[in-house]
Amino acid sequence: MMPIKIETKNLGVSFGEAKAIDGISMKIFANKVTAVIGPSGCGKSTFIRGLNRMNEIVGKAKTSGEVLLDGQNIYSEDFDVVELRRRVGMIFQKPNPFPKSIFDNVAFGPRIHGTHDQESLRKIVETNLKKAVLWEEVSDRLNKSAMDLSGGQQQRLCIARALAVEPEVILMDEPCSALDPIATAKIESLIRTLSQEYTVIIVTHNMQQASRVADYTAFLYLGRLVEFGQTKDIFENPKSEITEKYITGEFG
Amino acid sequence: MSRIIDTVLEELSVMLCRMGKLTYETVSLSIKGCLNGTSVYSQVHEMSDALVSMSDQAEDKTFELIARFQPVASDLRTIKSYMKIAYDFARYSRYALDISYINEQFGGLKECEEWISEYIEKMSEKVLNMVRSSVDALRSHNTQLAKSIAKTEEEVDKMYSKYLDKLIEKAPATSKCTISSVLVVRYLERIADHATYVCESVIYLATGEKTTLR
Repeated sequence: MMPIKIETKNLGVSFGEAKAIDGISMKIFANKVTAVIGPSGCGKSTFIRGLNRMNEIVGKAKTSGEVLLDGQNIYSEDFDVVELRRRVGMIFQKPNPFPKSIFDNVAFGPRIHGTHDQESLRKIVETNLKKAVLWEEVSDRLNKSAMDLSGGQQQRLCIARALAVEPEVILMDEPCSALDPIATAKIESLIRTLSQEYTVIIVTHNMQQASRVADYTAFLYLGRLVEFGQTKDIFENPKSEITEKYITGEFG
Repeated sequence: MSRIIDTVLEELSVMLCRMGKLTYETVSLSIKGCLNGTSVYSQVHEMSDALVSMSDQAEDKTFELIARFQPVASDLRTIKSYMKIAYDFARYSRYALDISYINEQFGGLKECEEWISEYIEKMSEKVLNMVRSSVDALRSHNTQLAKSIAKTEEEVDKMYSKYLDKLIEKAPATSKCTISSVLVVRYLERIADHATYVCESVIYLATGEKTTLR
């Protein structure tokens, strides 16, 4: 039996009257990459934002159901949201480094969480830039602005920044959609490596990307979970006709 | 709106159906030649070469489909199955060529006693039916027809081993007949095997189910 890192039970999110996702019950296995696919507006981003309570930032959002992280409901009143977002980090579609130095970007989180010793910060920065496979490209210019890096480097810097606070789960919302194929290949390879240490959930519009990087794939349609299973099964022999039509490009 | 991949898949499907028709004609001609003692080797050779060449073209087409369209789900299963079936059709034709060669080298079955010719004719009918069923099952993606082939395959297998037993009991008058008939039943049995492989591929492409009909 594979260990479950996150389990959603009947998860629903509404924005005012509009239901973005409804009744999603799904198990996300630890140290695996899970891809969430589906047509635009099907609720993919809302779903993963529901896994670290990012939907709460939007005023009208109302969440129902449960999200269990290691068995604890993250929506219970006593669950610390700051701690939750440390444990469940997020990478966005467009690389969003802070307008600071490369070093300060990675050190930002640890500083907020109370690490100020320069030597410790230096170690954290090096370790996580290495994990994000960026160290060799930037080790001689850590004090240069992060804004001068290429798009692919910026995205890996954002991954290093997310890793620096020692998360357990990494959510990625179309992390390669703004990148060229070479930068995309580097991020995809990185995702596979990261899954040895972290649980990764990736939203992607790119079906081939899902089939390349993910161990498990979930297909969402009109806010509901249509199919979830091993990526091999979803892409070779999907059970649902809607999944078949979507992944073969008959609609979407 | 039709997908770009559909046009290329259709081309491949048409190619496979043409192969199916030709493969049936090739096997049928070689068996007829062997039973009647008529020389069909050069004709079967041409047909077989054409099928091998078509199989290579089908393989190239499947690679093109994979490289250009990154197929998944039923598209992927179809491509994988078509590639295997094209190979099976080419194999049918190679065994047909081997059968027609027996006629050239050893004089076919005309050297044999009547019971042997009758036995092999009966076995040939079953095998030709299997070839036809496999081609028809492919054309219509008919899984029921594909599954129905298993029973005949079992019968062909039994006929093959029963024939060997019979030869031990009652040796034919000439060595030529012994060699010819043993080789023919062996090749027929192999063609029957490939017919079941084709049917297994049809079931897989239509349902995703990996079955063994043997």
